[in-house]
Amino acid sequence: MSKRYGGSTVVDAVTFDVRPGRVTGFLGPNGAGKSTTIRMLLGLTTPTAGRVTFEGRSYRLMETPLREVGALLDAATVHGGRTAHAHLRWLAASNGLPKHRVGEVLGRTGLEAVAGRRVRGFSLGMRQRLGIAAALLGDPPVLILDEPVNGLDPEGVHWIRSLLRDLAAEGRTLLVSSHLITEMALVADHLLVIGAGRLLADQSIQELTRGHATLEDAYFAVTAESTQYRAKQGGVR
Amino acid sequence: MTVLRRTAHAEWIKLWSVRSTWLAVAAAAVLAVGLCVTGTIGTVPPADLAAFDAVGAAFGGLTFAQLAFGVLGVLAVTTEHASGTIVPTLAATPRRGVALLAKLLVTGGVTLVLGEALAFGTFLLGQALLDRHGLAVRLGDPGVLRAVSSAGLYLFVIAMVGLGLGALLRQHAAAIATLFAVVFLAYGAARALETWSYLPSRLLLSNAGDVVGQVHATAAKPRLPSMRMAYADLALYLTLALSLGWFRARRD
Repeated sequence: MSKRYGGSTVVDAVTFDVRPGRVTGFLGPNGAGKSTTIRMLLGLTTPTAGRVTFEGRSYRLMETPLREVGALLDAATVHGGRTAHAHLRWLAASNGLPKHRVGEVLGRTGLEAVAGRRVRGFSLGMRQRLGIAAALLGDPPVLILDEPVNGLDPEGVHWIRSLLRDLAAEGRTLLVSSHLITEMALVADHLLVIGAGRLLADQSIQELTRGHATLEDAYFAVTAESTQYRAKQGGVR
Repeated sequence: MTVLRRTAHAEWIKLWSVRSTWLAVAAAAVLAVGLCVTGTIGTVPPADLAAFDAVGAAFGGLTFAQLAFGVLGVLAVTTEHASGTIVPTLAATPRRGVALLAKLLVTGGVTLVLGEALAFGTFLLGQALLDRHGLAVRLGDPGVLRAVSSAGLYLFVIAMVGLGLGALLRQHAAAIATLFAVVFLAYGAARALETWSYLPSRLLLSNAGDVVGQVHATAAKPRLPSMRMAYADLALYLTLALSLGWFRARRD
């Protein structure tokens, strides 16, 4: 798929498959087109060309999308005046999910104690957990998580690593975006690297790191020509 | 249909799980009841009893309650865009038309019921207070039931105009400012044009609301729309605002 805004091409003929049972990392520098790609997956942005299907079906045609694809986009997309419980309750109602799912995902994300509090008072880490709870609500076989590690404290980071591995082990399809390479090295089995709107790599971690000392080195080698905001001198290899 | 029903259920939960809804409803009720009491309790029997509008006297507060209704309609949509909740909303209900229709049905249903409750509530309260002066009318009197139910209908129309403007403009400030312009500023502009034509005044939403909420014929006042035209005005505003909002919502 491709996306052009006016004269600039943000996503340029990117094509990939995401397979079940493993964590697929989605890496790229800031402004590479990660978020635009993820928005296109969910039908929030219409591609200029190309299309996205889940098991052959388009997201915008799904009647109960939360049962099929769980997504964490931006943790700031919750009304601050609503409680965590109310937020999950309306989401559950919208897709005809049973009420007990709300309690279950609150438990799985460790938010039970704060379920009755207004989201306005939540830390970024708590909002992130609420976003993950929302993604898990419909018990979907596919999960798309945009920067799930953002704002989490060390314990939270540890928690999400094991959660991601568990979800993949349950046979789900996971696409996890991040700009934290070390984090990806720990959780991902397969990597998609995007830079300046183009897909630069679609390989397993082993294949990508072959010939390089670390995954970080491999990443910089792959994105060398497409990074827009790299410092001119020093710092980066 | 199942999708619409589920989405409407979600909208119902959304509507009542934020404080602004309760505040808008409370503000509308306090204004409507408070000004109904002050507008009727001290009434001195007028010389010309036939010209006295016992229904209108009870509805003094609805002029202000309409703002709360309009704001409620605006916020039903703009809050989604301001808080970013529009993202999970569209992720849960990817069909834009269904998402907006569900919001329209829930907000419309709630404001229609609340609007009628306020209209009938303030009517009954006002008549109880006017009865001490022997000025009260009854629901069974000619034209009274129509006027009272239309006053409630007008509150619903204002809320839907707010919702349409919210869906069109997507920002609290822009939509509320436009709503105020439509309801209040347009009045002054139309008054200024009356030297040339009464048509702008007859097309005003607020004038139409006044006319449908009155029992007496307004044929004597050329600057106000006839009863039939007033209802047509309401239908026009309702259709126009919702069409514009629908147009914007379907476009992305």
